[in-house]
Amino acid sequence: MSYREYVIAAYAVFALMLVWDYVVPRLAIARELRAARRLAARKAARPTRNETPTELGR
Amino acid sequence: MSDMNPVIRWFHQLGSPPYFDRFAARWAPWGYGLGLLIMAWGAYGALFQVPADYQQGDSFRILYIHVPAAWMSLMVFGLMALYSAIALVWRIKLCEILAMACAPIGAAFTFVTLATGSIWGKPMWGTWWDWDPRLTSQLVLLFLYLGVIGLYHAIDDRRTAARAAGLLALVGVVMLPIIRYSVVWWNSLHQGQTIRVFGESSMDASMLPPLIWMVIGTKFWFAGSLLTRARADNLHREAGKDWVRRLAEAKA
Repeated sequence: MSYREYVIAAYAVFALMLVWDYVVPRLAIARELRAARRLAARKAARPTRNETPTELGR
Repeated sequence: MSDMNPVIRWFHQLGSPPYFDRFAARWAPWGYGLGLLIMAWGAYGALFQVPADYQQGDSFRILYIHVPAAWMSLMVFGLMALYSAIALVWRIKLCEILAMACAPIGAAFTFVTLATGSIWGKPMWGTWWDWDPRLTSQLVLLFLYLGVIGLYHAIDDRRTAARAAGLLALVGVVMLPIIRYSVVWWNSLHQGQTIRVFGESSMDASMLPPLIWMVIGTKFWFAGSLLTRARADNLHREAGKDWVRRLAEAKA
């Protein structure tokens, strides 16, 4: 094959772009879901209003 | 609602963030999968089946990724502008999300167009780059894509950001005919139109099928990527909502 290095380089650029285009949005979704789980855990750990007596409640 | 046309009803349903999330999660793998299969078949034909060009030798095989990527760079920008126009006029949140999801994909295809053109240009033109009208206008398109992405991420409120970036996308549409006709309007180093959708192409018919497969494959891939990127943005905008929490816990 003539100009083999150029053909390989061009197809490699295209393949790398496809890998990037596949991986990046999947990582973003995983990040959002992780953040949602952390938020839910924080909310669950927060004491409810009735358990903590306040000055007004006394 | 019950008398509504099923297609219109479906569009209304798609506007619901949880419904869109389920829709995108279901269909994105099909877009990626079919896109990859079709492109693999096209690339096989491009690399091993079509004969070498009598002047350019095997370097012409770069055309099978350069041309589909270039067409995608223009089509995606047009689609981004269309979604932006709909979002600006009717304030449809899903269209904002889709418009902004177009930008990184279009930028990636524009980058591939420039890179593969440059790699082909070195052995054929004797230079990696020339400030030729087609090359320069394509570079401006890349900067426009980057501008849209930058603007969208520079403003904290996603809705305001999408409106500002959408306006830039609409203004940028002026570049599309400039790129398309740059080889006609100016004396360009870049070759003129070789492949015609309507009318006879200057390329031999035996060399066309892999190009057609690559063009179709990139469209399917784009659909998969668009849905996945839009899903990520949709989840970001809906952070804190109960349906996102349920989904996150189900995926844990």
